Amino acid sequence: MKTLTAMMIAMVLAAFAAAAAQPESAKSWTQPRTPDGQPDMQGIWTNYTNTPFEVADEGDRPDFYGGDVDGTGRGTGPSSFLNDTSDRKLTKARSLVVDPPSGRVPIMPWAEEVRNYRLTHIQDDWVNFTPWERCITRGVPGGIFPAGYGSGYQILQGPGYVAIVYEMIHEARMIPIDGRPHLGPSFRLWNGDSRGRWEGNTLVVDVTGYNDKGTVATNVATQRVRAIPQSEQLHAVERFTRVDENTINYEVTIEDPKVFTSPWKVAMPLHREPDYQLFEYACHEGNRAVPNTLSGGRARDRTARASN
Amino acid sequence: MRTSHIVAAALGVILAAGAPIAAHHSFAAEFDGSKPVTLRGTITKMEWTNPHAWLHIDVKGPDGKVVAWMIEGGAPNALLRRGWNKESVTPGTAIVVQGFRARDGSNRASGGDVTLPDGKKLFIGSTGTGAPGDAGGRK
Repeated sequence: MKTLTAMMIAMVLAAFAAAAAQPESAKSWTQPRTPDGQPDMQGIWTNYTNTPFEVADEGDRPDFYGGDVDGTGRGTGPSSFLNDTSDRKLTKARSLVVDPPSGRVPIMPWAEEVRNYRLTHIQDDWVNFTPWERCITRGVPGGIFPAGYGSGYQILQGPGYVAIVYEMIHEARMIPIDGRPHLGPSFRLWNGDSRGRWEGNTLVVDVTGYNDKGTVATNVATQRVRAIPQSEQLHAVERFTRVDENTINYEVTIEDPKVFTSPWKVAMPLHREPDYQLFEYACHEGNRAVPNTLSGGRARDRTARASN
Repeated sequence: MRTSHIVAAALGVILAAGAPIAAHHSFAAEFDGSKPVTLRGTITKMEWTNPHAWLHIDVKGPDGKVVAWMIEGGAPNALLRRGWNKESVTPGTAIVVQGFRARDGSNRASGGDVTLPDGKKLFIGSTGTGAPGDAGGRK
Protein backbone atom coordinates (compact mmCIF):
# COMPACT_ATOMS: atom_id res chain seq x y z
CA MET A 1 0.00 0.00 0.00
CA LYS A 2 2.81 2.33 0.95
CA THR A 3 4.43 1.58 -2.39
CA LEU A 4 1.19 2.32 -4.26
CA THR A 5 0.71 5.61 -2.41
CA ALA A 6 4.30 6.59 -3.13
CA MET A 7 3.81 5.72 -6.80
CA MET A 8 0.63 7.80 -6.96
CA ILE A 9 2.33 10.77 -5.32
CA ALA A 10 5.24 10.39 -7.73
CA MET A 11 2.85 10.30 -10.70
CA VAL A 12 0.99 13.40 -9.51
CA LEU A 13 4.28 15.23 -8.95
CA ALA A 14 5.51 14.14 -12.37
CA ALA A 15 2.30 15.45 -13.96
CA PHE A 16 2.75 18.80 -12.21
CA ALA A 17 6.37 18.93 -13.29
CA ALA A 18 5.44 18.17 -16.88
CA ALA A 19 2.76 20.89 -16.84
CA ALA A 20 5.17 23.38 -15.33
CA ALA A 21 7.74 22.61 -18.02
CA GLN A 22 5.27 23.51 -20.76
CA PRO A 23 5.28 27.08 -22.06
CA GLU A 24 2.25 28.98 -20.72
CA SER A 25 0.61 29.24 -24.12
CA ALA A 26 1.20 25.58 -24.88
CA LYS A 27 -1.23 24.43 -22.23
CA SER A 28 -4.17 25.32 -24.41
CA TRP A 29 -2.38 25.05 -27.70
CA THR A 30 -2.88 22.27 -30.21
CA GLN A 31 -0.23 21.51 -32.78
CA PRO A 32 -1.77 22.53 -36.12
CA ARG A 33 -1.24 20.23 -39.08
CA THR A 34 -0.83 20.71 -42.79
CA PRO A 35 -3.37 19.07 -45.13
CA ASP A 36 -0.95 16.16 -45.62
CA GLY A 37 -0.61 15.68 -41.87
CA GLN A 38 2.75 17.28 -41.07
CA PRO A 39 3.06 19.39 -37.94
CA ASP A 40 2.47 22.87 -39.38
CA MET A 41 5.38 25.27 -38.90
CA GLN A 42 4.57 27.50 -41.86
CA GLY A 43 4.91 31.23 -41.56
CA ILE A 44 7.44 33.98 -40.95
CA TRP A 45 9.84 33.50 -38.07
CA THR A 46 12.67 35.69 -36.73
CA ASN A 47 15.65 34.93 -34.55
CA TYR A 48 16.39 38.19 -32.73
CA THR A 49 18.16 37.58 -29.47
CA ASN A 50 20.39 39.31 -26.98
CA THR A 51 22.07 36.07 -25.98
CA PRO A 52 25.74 35.83 -27.00
CA PHE A 53 26.75 32.92 -29.21
CA GLU A 54 29.38 31.62 -26.79
CA VAL A 55 30.17 32.22 -23.15
CA ALA A 56 32.88 34.87 -23.11
CA ASP A 57 36.42 34.06 -22.06
CA GLU A 58 39.12 36.46 -20.98
CA GLY A 59 41.30 35.23 -23.83
CA ASP A 60 38.72 36.27 -26.43
CA ARG A 61 39.61 39.02 -28.87
CA PRO A 62 36.25 40.51 -29.88
CA ASP A 63 37.76 43.41 -31.82
CA PHE A 64 39.92 41.01 -33.79
CA TYR A 65 37.04 38.66 -34.57
CA GLY A 66 35.11 41.73 -35.72
CA GLY A 67 37.74 42.62 -38.28
CA ASP A 68 40.09 45.03 -36.50
CA VAL A 69 42.77 44.71 -39.15
CA ASP A 70 45.12 47.40 -37.89
CA GLY A 71 44.96 46.64 -34.20
CA THR A 72 43.65 50.06 -33.28
CA GLY A 73 40.57 48.59 -31.69
CA ARG A 74 38.53 51.20 -33.47
CA GLY A 75 35.50 50.78 -35.59
CA THR A 76 35.30 47.07 -35.37
CA GLY A 77 32.78 44.41 -34.70
CA PRO A 78 30.60 43.68 -31.75
CA SER A 79 31.40 42.31 -28.38
CA SER A 80 27.89 40.97 -28.12
CA PHE A 81 24.93 40.44 -30.39
CA LEU A 82 23.82 42.75 -33.13
CA ASN A 83 20.29 43.94 -32.65
CA ASP A 84 18.20 46.34 -34.64
CA THR A 85 15.40 45.70 -32.19
CA SER A 86 17.29 45.05 -29.03
CA ASP A 87 14.26 45.66 -26.84
CA ARG A 88 12.65 42.46 -28.04
CA LYS A 89 13.09 38.77 -27.52
CA LEU A 90 15.25 39.02 -24.47
CA THR A 91 16.30 35.65 -23.15
CA LYS A 92 18.11 34.62 -20.04
CA ALA A 93 20.31 31.96 -21.59
CA ARG A 94 24.02 32.36 -20.95
CA SER A 95 24.92 31.47 -24.51
CA LEU A 96 23.39 29.93 -27.61
CA VAL A 97 26.02 27.20 -27.38
CA VAL A 98 24.52 24.85 -24.81
CA ASP A 99 26.86 21.90 -25.17
CA PRO A 100 29.60 21.53 -24.03
CA PRO A 101 28.27 22.94 -20.75
CA SER A 102 31.10 25.49 -20.78
CA GLY A 103 29.29 27.24 -23.61
CA ARG A 104 32.53 27.20 -25.63
CA VAL A 105 32.90 25.64 -29.06
CA PRO A 106 35.72 23.03 -28.95
CA ILE A 107 37.73 24.41 -31.89
CA MET A 108 41.06 22.78 -32.76
CA PRO A 109 44.05 25.17 -32.65
CA TRP A 110 44.88 24.75 -36.37
CA ALA A 111 41.38 25.90 -37.29
CA GLU A 112 41.78 29.01 -35.12
CA GLU A 113 45.05 29.70 -36.90
CA VAL A 114 43.31 29.51 -40.28
CA ARG A 115 40.67 31.94 -39.01
CA ASN A 116 43.33 34.28 -37.66
CA TYR A 117 45.13 34.27 -41.00
CA ARG A 118 41.94 35.00 -42.90
CA LEU A 119 40.95 37.86 -40.62
CA THR A 120 44.46 39.34 -40.62
CA HIS A 121 44.81 39.12 -44.40
CA ILE A 122 41.31 40.12 -45.43
CA GLN A 123 42.67 43.14 -47.33
CA ASP A 124 45.03 40.92 -49.32
CA ASP A 125 42.80 38.52 -51.20
CA TRP A 126 39.13 37.86 -51.80
CA VAL A 127 39.56 34.23 -50.71
CA ASN A 128 40.06 35.41 -47.14
CA PHE A 129 36.50 36.70 -46.91
CA THR A 130 33.80 34.41 -45.54
CA PRO A 131 31.30 33.00 -48.06
CA TRP A 132 28.77 35.38 -46.54
CA GLU A 133 30.84 38.46 -47.29
CA ARG A 134 31.32 37.09 -50.80
CA CYS A 135 27.53 36.69 -51.12
CA ILE A 136 27.76 32.94 -51.68
CA THR A 137 25.99 31.63 -48.60
CA ARG A 138 25.76 32.00 -44.85
CA GLY A 139 25.94 28.24 -44.71
CA VAL A 140 23.97 25.46 -43.07
CA PRO A 141 23.50 25.61 -40.16
CA GLY A 142 25.25 29.01 -39.94
CA GLY A 143 22.52 30.74 -41.92
CA ILE A 144 20.10 30.40 -39.06
CA PHE A 145 22.42 31.76 -36.38
CA PRO A 146 21.30 35.26 -35.37
CA ALA A 147 22.95 38.15 -37.16
CA GLY A 148 20.81 40.99 -35.81
CA TYR A 149 19.36 42.12 -39.12
CA GLY A 150 17.89 40.40 -42.15
CA SER A 151 16.56 38.01 -39.54
CA GLY A 152 13.47 36.63 -41.29
CA TYR A 153 12.88 32.97 -42.11
CA GLN A 154 9.83 31.77 -44.03
CA ILE A 155 8.89 28.13 -43.68
CA LEU A 156 6.72 26.52 -46.33
CA GLN A 157 5.56 22.90 -46.34
CA GLY A 158 4.21 20.68 -49.06
CA PRO A 159 3.93 16.95 -49.61
CA GLY A 160 7.43 15.51 -49.35
CA TYR A 161 9.22 18.78 -48.62
CA VAL A 162 9.87 21.47 -46.08
CA ALA A 163 11.25 24.66 -47.60
CA ILE A 164 12.94 27.45 -45.67
CA VAL A 165 13.52 30.85 -47.24
CA TYR A 166 16.38 32.66 -45.51
CA GLU A 167 16.09 36.44 -45.81
CA MET A 168 19.87 36.76 -45.44
CA ILE A 169 21.37 36.17 -47.96
CA HIS A 170 18.39 35.31 -50.08
CA GLU A 171 18.67 31.54 -49.85
CA ALA A 172 15.94 28.95 -50.33
CA ARG A 173 16.59 25.62 -48.70
CA MET A 174 14.67 22.56 -49.88
CA ILE A 175 14.52 19.73 -47.36
CA PRO A 176 13.12 16.44 -48.71
CA ILE A 177 11.16 14.51 -46.07
CA ASP A 178 10.23 11.54 -48.24
CA GLY A 179 12.86 9.16 -46.90
CA ARG A 180 15.25 9.39 -49.80
CA PRO A 181 18.90 8.67 -48.99
CA HIS A 182 21.72 11.19 -49.00
CA LEU A 183 23.30 11.96 -52.35
CA GLY A 184 26.47 10.08 -51.52
CA PRO A 185 30.13 11.02 -51.06
CA SER A 186 30.78 12.13 -54.62
CA PHE A 187 28.58 15.20 -54.13
CA ARG A 188 30.20 18.01 -52.16
CA LEU A 189 28.07 21.10 -51.61
CA TRP A 190 28.57 24.43 -49.87
CA ASN A 191 25.52 23.78 -47.71
CA GLY A 192 25.64 20.00 -47.70
CA ASP A 193 22.77 17.72 -48.49
CA SER A 194 19.74 17.99 -46.18
CA ARG A 195 17.42 15.07 -45.45
CA GLY A 196 14.46 15.56 -43.12
CA ARG A 197 12.15 13.29 -41.18
CA TRP A 198 9.48 13.78 -38.55
CA GLU A 199 10.07 12.38 -35.09
CA GLY A 200 6.72 13.10 -33.45
CA ASN A 201 6.27 16.83 -33.83
CA THR A 202 9.98 17.46 -34.34
CA LEU A 203 11.47 17.94 -37.79
CA VAL A 204 14.90 16.32 -37.71
CA VAL A 205 17.23 17.32 -40.54
CA ASP A 206 20.43 15.41 -41.17
CA VAL A 207 23.00 17.32 -43.21
CA THR A 208 26.13 15.80 -44.75
CA GLY A 209 28.01 16.05 -48.04
CA TYR A 210 29.66 19.41 -47.43
CA ASN A 211 32.61 20.77 -49.37
CA ASP A 212 35.60 22.07 -47.44
CA LYS A 213 35.31 25.65 -48.70
CA GLY A 214 32.70 26.99 -46.33
CA THR A 215 32.63 28.01 -42.71
CA VAL A 216 30.26 26.83 -40.00
CA ALA A 217 29.54 30.43 -39.04
CA THR A 218 30.10 33.53 -41.09
CA ASN A 219 28.83 36.64 -39.41
CA VAL A 220 30.42 38.79 -36.75
CA ALA A 221 27.81 37.90 -34.14
CA THR A 222 29.22 34.40 -33.97
CA GLN A 223 32.48 35.95 -32.79
CA ARG A 224 35.26 33.37 -32.26
CA VAL A 225 33.54 30.81 -34.49
CA ARG A 226 33.31 33.14 -37.47
CA ALA A 227 35.54 32.11 -40.38
CA ILE A 228 36.46 28.80 -38.76
CA PRO A 229 36.90 26.38 -41.70
CA GLN A 230 34.76 23.32 -42.26
CA SER A 231 35.90 19.96 -43.63
CA GLU A 232 34.11 17.44 -45.78
CA GLN A 233 33.44 15.52 -42.58
CA LEU A 234 31.12 18.21 -41.24
CA HIS A 235 27.84 16.69 -40.09
CA ALA A 236 24.92 18.65 -38.68
CA VAL A 237 21.69 17.37 -37.16
CA GLU A 238 19.02 20.02 -36.76
CA ARG A 239 15.81 19.73 -34.77
CA PHE A 240 12.87 22.08 -35.29
CA THR A 241 10.07 21.70 -32.71
CA ARG A 242 7.10 24.05 -32.62
CA VAL A 243 6.27 24.28 -28.92
CA ASP A 244 3.48 26.85 -29.06
CA GLU A 245 1.74 29.18 -31.47
CA ASN A 246 4.62 31.63 -31.56
CA THR A 247 7.75 29.59 -30.87
CA ILE A 248 9.88 27.01 -32.62
CA ASN A 249 12.69 25.57 -30.56
CA TYR A 250 15.66 25.13 -32.85
CA GLU A 251 18.61 22.93 -31.96
CA VAL A 252 21.59 21.81 -33.97
CA THR A 253 24.36 19.40 -33.11
CA ILE A 254 27.54 19.95 -35.11
CA GLU A 255 30.41 17.54 -35.50
CA ASP A 256 33.48 17.80 -37.64
CA PRO A 257 36.29 15.61 -36.31
CA LYS A 258 38.87 17.49 -38.36
CA VAL A 259 37.90 20.85 -36.89
CA PHE A 260 36.31 20.32 -33.46
CA THR A 261 37.55 18.07 -30.68
CA SER A 262 34.00 17.01 -29.84
CA PRO A 263 30.44 17.63 -31.08
CA TRP A 264 28.78 20.83 -29.90
CA LYS A 265 25.24 22.04 -29.79
CA VAL A 266 23.37 25.30 -30.28
CA ALA A 267 19.82 25.85 -28.97
CA MET A 268 17.70 28.92 -29.59
CA PRO A 269 14.10 29.94 -30.24
CA LEU A 270 12.59 31.17 -33.48
CA HIS A 271 9.73 33.62 -32.95
CA ARG A 272 6.64 33.77 -35.14
CA GLU A 273 6.31 37.27 -36.53
CA PRO A 274 3.56 37.29 -39.18
CA ASP A 275 3.86 41.03 -39.84
CA TYR A 276 7.58 40.85 -40.58
CA GLN A 277 8.40 41.26 -44.25
CA LEU A 278 11.40 39.62 -45.86
CA PHE A 279 13.39 42.19 -47.80
CA GLU A 280 14.87 40.89 -51.02
CA TYR A 281 18.53 40.47 -50.16
CA ALA A 282 20.07 40.56 -53.65
CA CYS A 283 23.46 40.30 -52.00
CA HIS A 284 25.73 40.92 -54.99
CA GLU A 285 23.88 44.03 -56.08
CA GLY A 286 25.25 46.21 -53.32
CA ASN A 287 28.26 44.20 -52.25
CA ARG A 288 30.91 46.89 -52.46
CA ALA A 289 32.64 45.70 -49.32
CA VAL A 290 34.94 43.26 -51.12
CA PRO A 291 36.42 45.73 -53.66
CA ASN A 292 36.46 48.53 -51.08
CA THR A 293 38.30 46.38 -48.56
CA LEU A 294 40.84 45.26 -51.15
CA SER A 295 41.37 48.85 -52.30
CA GLY A 296 41.85 49.78 -48.65
CA GLY A 297 44.60 47.17 -48.56
CA ARG A 298 46.27 48.56 -51.66
CA ALA A 299 46.19 52.03 -50.10
CA ARG A 300 47.87 50.52 -47.05
CA ASP A 301 50.53 48.96 -49.30
CA ARG A 302 51.22 52.28 -51.02
CA THR A 303 51.62 54.01 -47.67
CA ALA A 304 53.99 51.27 -46.51
CA ARG A 305 56.08 51.56 -49.69
CA ALA A 306 56.21 55.34 -49.42
CA SER A 307 57.47 55.20 -45.86
CA ASN A 308 60.23 52.71 -46.71
CA MET B 1 48.20 62.00 -44.45
CA ARG B 2 48.55 65.80 -44.45
CA THR B 3 47.62 65.94 -48.10
CA SER B 4 44.47 63.97 -47.59
CA HIS B 5 43.41 66.32 -44.77
CA ILE B 6 43.97 69.37 -46.94
CA VAL B 7 41.98 67.81 -49.73
CA ALA B 8 39.26 66.93 -47.30
CA ALA B 9 39.09 70.50 -46.00
CA ALA B 10 38.93 71.84 -49.52
CA LEU B 11 35.93 69.68 -50.13
CA GLY B 12 34.11 71.16 -47.21
CA VAL B 13 34.87 68.21 -45.02
CA ILE B 14 35.13 69.06 -41.38
CA LEU B 15 36.99 66.69 -39.17
CA ALA B 16 34.90 65.89 -36.17
CA ALA B 17 35.10 63.66 -33.16
CA GLY B 18 32.75 60.75 -33.07
CA ALA B 19 32.20 57.29 -31.80
CA PRO B 20 33.47 54.45 -33.95
CA ILE B 21 30.87 52.46 -35.79
CA ALA B 22 30.79 48.75 -36.06
CA ALA B 23 29.89 47.15 -39.34
CA HIS B 24 28.93 43.70 -40.39
CA HIS B 25 31.69 43.62 -42.91
CA SER B 26 35.01 44.44 -41.37
CA PHE B 27 34.72 48.17 -40.79
CA ALA B 28 38.41 48.64 -40.15
CA ALA B 29 39.43 46.92 -43.39
CA GLU B 30 37.33 49.33 -45.42
CA PHE B 31 37.15 52.54 -43.41
CA ASP B 32 39.53 54.45 -41.20
CA GLY B 33 38.29 54.94 -37.64
CA SER B 34 40.85 57.70 -37.15
CA LYS B 35 39.39 59.80 -39.95
CA PRO B 36 35.95 61.02 -38.95
CA VAL B 37 34.25 63.41 -41.35
CA THR B 38 31.23 65.67 -41.34
CA LEU B 39 29.74 66.12 -44.78
CA ARG B 40 27.16 68.80 -45.61
CA GLY B 41 25.45 68.05 -48.86
CA THR B 42 22.30 67.27 -50.76
CA ILE B 43 20.97 63.84 -51.49
CA THR B 44 21.20 62.72 -55.09
CA LYS B 45 20.27 59.07 -54.73
CA MET B 46 19.62 56.33 -52.20
CA GLU B 47 20.45 52.75 -53.13
CA TRP B 48 18.30 50.44 -51.01
CA THR B 49 20.65 47.53 -51.54
CA ASN B 50 21.91 44.68 -49.40
CA PRO B 51 24.15 43.99 -47.67
CA HIS B 52 24.48 47.74 -47.18
CA ALA B 53 22.44 50.66 -48.44
CA TRP B 54 24.40 53.49 -50.08
CA LEU B 55 23.42 57.14 -49.86
CA HIS B 56 24.81 59.40 -52.58
CA ILE B 57 25.27 63.08 -51.79
CA ASP B 58 26.72 66.12 -53.51
CA VAL B 59 29.02 68.14 -51.29
CA LYS B 60 29.90 71.71 -52.28
CA GLY B 61 33.36 72.85 -51.28
CA PRO B 62 34.45 76.40 -50.40
CA ASP B 63 35.46 76.91 -54.02
CA GLY B 64 31.95 76.11 -55.17
CA LYS B 65 33.02 72.86 -56.73
CA VAL B 66 30.55 70.05 -56.17
CA VAL B 67 31.95 66.62 -55.32
CA ALA B 68 29.95 63.40 -55.17
CA TRP B 69 30.28 61.28 -52.04
CA MET B 70 28.93 57.83 -51.25
CA ILE B 71 27.85 56.96 -47.73
CA GLU B 72 27.59 53.36 -46.60
CA GLY B 73 24.55 52.65 -44.47
CA GLY B 74 23.13 49.63 -42.74
CA ALA B 75 21.02 46.97 -44.41
CA PRO B 76 17.72 48.18 -45.90
CA ASN B 77 15.59 46.11 -43.56
CA ALA B 78 17.50 47.47 -40.58
CA LEU B 79 17.11 51.06 -41.80
CA LEU B 80 13.39 50.63 -42.44
CA ARG B 81 12.92 49.36 -38.89
CA ARG B 82 14.91 52.29 -37.55
CA GLY B 83 12.61 54.83 -39.19
CA TRP B 84 14.21 55.41 -42.58
CA ASN B 85 11.92 55.38 -45.60
CA LYS B 86 11.64 56.75 -49.11
CA GLU B 87 10.60 60.16 -47.77
CA SER B 88 13.72 60.44 -45.56
CA VAL B 89 16.02 60.40 -48.55
CA THR B 90 14.29 62.43 -51.24
CA PRO B 91 16.80 63.75 -53.79
CA GLY B 92 17.60 67.39 -53.13
CA THR B 93 17.25 67.10 -49.36
CA ALA B 94 20.01 68.96 -47.52
CA ILE B 95 21.61 66.81 -44.86
CA VAL B 96 24.61 66.60 -42.60
CA VAL B 97 26.34 63.23 -42.41
CA GLN B 98 28.83 62.16 -39.80
CA GLY B 99 30.98 59.25 -40.74
CA PHE B 100 34.44 57.82 -41.30
CA ARG B 101 36.46 58.04 -44.50
CA ALA B 102 37.38 55.15 -46.74
CA ARG B 103 40.90 53.84 -46.30
CA ASP B 104 41.67 54.19 -50.00
CA GLY B 105 41.08 57.93 -49.83
CA SER B 106 38.18 57.94 -52.27
CA ASN B 107 35.05 59.96 -51.61
CA ARG B 108 33.32 57.27 -49.64
CA ALA B 109 32.48 57.12 -45.97
CA SER B 110 30.85 54.83 -43.49
CA GLY B 111 27.80 56.75 -42.32
CA GLY B 112 26.77 57.46 -38.75
CA ASP B 113 24.33 60.11 -37.63
CA VAL B 114 22.47 61.94 -40.38
CA THR B 115 20.82 65.26 -39.55
CA LEU B 116 17.75 66.00 -41.64
CA PRO B 117 16.48 69.52 -42.54
CA ASP B 118 14.06 69.55 -39.59
CA GLY B 119 16.90 68.85 -37.20
CA LYS B 120 15.88 65.25 -36.69
CA LYS B 121 18.80 62.85 -36.45
CA LEU B 122 18.71 59.33 -37.82
CA PHE B 123 21.49 56.82 -37.52
CA ILE B 124 22.25 55.38 -40.95
CA GLY B 125 25.18 53.16 -40.06
CA SER B 126 25.41 49.45 -39.53
CA THR B 127 24.29 48.27 -36.17
CA GLY B 128 27.18 47.03 -34.18
CA THR B 129 27.23 45.96 -30.61
CA GLY B 130 23.79 46.60 -29.21
CA ALA B 131 25.65 47.63 -26.09
CA PRO B 132 24.37 50.69 -24.22
CA GLY B 133 26.09 53.82 -25.41
CA ASP B 134 27.57 52.15 -28.42
CA ALA B 135 26.87 53.68 -31.79
CA GLY B 136 25.59 50.34 -32.97
CA GLY B 137 23.02 50.24 -30.21
CA ARG B 138 21.17 53.26 -31.53
CA LYS B 139 17.95 52.85 -33.42
